[in-house]
Amino acid sequence: MFQRILIANRGEIAVRVIRACRELGIESVAVYSDADAQSLHVALADRAVRIGPPAAAESYLSIPALVDAARQTGAEAVHPGYGFLSENDAFARACEDAGIVFIGPPANVIASMGSKVAARKLAEGAGAPVVPGETSIDQSDAAIAAAAERVGLPVLIKPSEGGGGIGMKAVHDAAGLPAAIAQARREAIAAFGDGTLYVERLVQRPRHVEIQVMADGAGHLVHLFERECSLQRRHQKIIEESPSTAVTPALRARMGDAAVAIARAAGYRNAGTVEFLVEGAGDGASFYFLEMNTRLQVEHPVTEQTTGVDLVRAQIAVAAGGPLPWTQAQLAQRGHAIEARVYAEDPMRGDLPQAGPLLLYREPLMPGVRVDGGAVEGGEISIHYDPLVAKVIASGETREAARQRLLAALRDFPILGIRTNVPFLVGVLEHPRFVSGDIHTGMVDADRDSLLAALPHEASPEALAVAGALSGGPPTPPSAATARLTRVTMDPWVTLADWRG
Amino acid sequence: MAELTVTPLGGGRYRVSDRASHVVAYAVQSGRERWVFIEGMVYVVAGTDSRGGIVHATDDDVALSAPMPATVAAINVTPGQEVETGDLLIMLEAMKMELPIRAPRAGRVTAIGCAKGELVQPGVTLLELE
Repeated sequence: MFQRILIANRGEIAVRVIRACRELGIESVAVYSDADAQSLHVALADRAVRIGPPAAAESYLSIPALVDAARQTGAEAVHPGYGFLSENDAFARACEDAGIVFIGPPANVIASMGSKVAARKLAEGAGAPVVPGETSIDQSDAAIAAAAERVGLPVLIKPSEGGGGIGMKAVHDAAGLPAAIAQARREAIAAFGDGTLYVERLVQRPRHVEIQVMADGAGHLVHLFERECSLQRRHQKIIEESPSTAVTPALRARMGDAAVAIARAAGYRNAGTVEFLVEGAGDGASFYFLEMNTRLQVEHPVTEQTTGVDLVRAQIAVAAGGPLPWTQAQLAQRGHAIEARVYAEDPMRGDLPQAGPLLLYREPLMPGVRVDGGAVEGGEISIHYDPLVAKVIASGETREAARQRLLAALRDFPILGIRTNVPFLVGVLEHPRFVSGDIHTGMVDADRDSLLAALPHEASPEALAVAGALSGGPPTPPSAATARLTRVTMDPWVTLADWRG
Repeated sequence: MAELTVTPLGGGRYRVSDRASHVVAYAVQSGRERWVFIEGMVYVVAGTDSRGGIVHATDDDVALSAPMPATVAAINVTPGQEVETGDLLIMLEAMKMELPIRAPRAGRVTAIGCAKGELVQPGVTLLELE
């Protein structure tokens, strides 16, 4: 087993991996940009190394800075988290070349799965169904527009590299193609440094269902069932759950087998996720291979909560050369789990990302609720990175029990100082379609107006009463809220940051 | 409506009760704004304005300013240029996303208050339209 692991990430996922390291008795090394010097992941790790200025390109995306940090601290392995360099084959190769274990699949597997074209070929070869689409060899705007016409409108235009919905544009008529192609290309270059675009037929009212897989170095492969990720806004997942209400045991078995076959054909190792689009529901539903994510997913906790395994510990064990901790026969789903992603964004203003101070931030504590967070009260959500603040995961014996618990948790998760999507998430969880389980990937955007209309547009009498009490307080001594903020500002991390080096 | 009693519980927590029931609220003051959280909903009470939610801006002052701290990725117009409603004037970038600033009405650009690559703050005027 490793003695020391460097975590090449920030925020909640860095915190998640640091905690797994601590449980395993492995020293953790955090990395941070100047914007994150006082972040929770830096405070929790055994060591922390500054890797550069706030801009991600010069810090969390800098392969030389990260490899240097691993060398300097004697880390034997690097956990990339998700996002940033987690699906960058050059980073995996740079780690391998430096004699550092990359906790993930081999570099060549990342490369083949990172290209939507190569991944599709691989899936087709493994016998999995795929959605019609193509990447034009000629990447001119005109050639891509022609490809869209051949595939048949409506289409999705998306970066060949990357994921997370960034740069992805739905186009319903030919007139919208030029603008969508130009914008997708700019966003692809800005986010992934590669403007290659891929065109795919837009499957109507699909569900997004993915299968978690795990493989060890000896060729053992298992799947850990499905996650339903259909609830998205602008192609960004906001609520995920397991099991899926659309997946029957027979469909689950077929999708699981397909995912394992794809992973086997790719020579896969470590944790990965095979994403499918599902049309229809029940035994007769169709599914199409979408892509394979060669990393830990944001929504991995819903799998952990329903299967009782720890995916991060398993990733580390397998990367250290150990066998898979479980056989397929030992794995089972139990109960139901739902995750809500809390984003610093304003639903009332087109989900505009919000940056600013967390004047008050209290994670909910209650039975059956897990919060994977990376922020603290008195901290700040910076403009430089992804606006994910925390994930709230609720489990219960039934879907309805999990839903009620998640609602209770969000109603007890005050975040003040910046706008978040918590009020919007409450509305989605209460929406009759979500309650019934009859969901699809376009549901949130289609019902957006009614979901927004349900949010409060005026302060309630209770809110006004509290606001009145707040401003009516005596100016000195400071109010309780101010006193608490002062205390957090004086937190010892601030003074220890330099000392940690 | 029954009268509401607000009792501070410490640490930014408040109990709001009428005769029949109560709820727990969380609140902080930030400059002139008071932020209140009750049962999953957030209310921002600004000054003497009792409105919750975000006030939707319609005038140029707000339409032509950065909605959040952002980097100026591109400036597509020059002073003196005539623009039509909806024309892309400035492209901002923040949190891996593009934030286009478009002309709220037709007019002539009289001044540009930012430079490419500059980090701009919300509320600062980026461009003036005549």
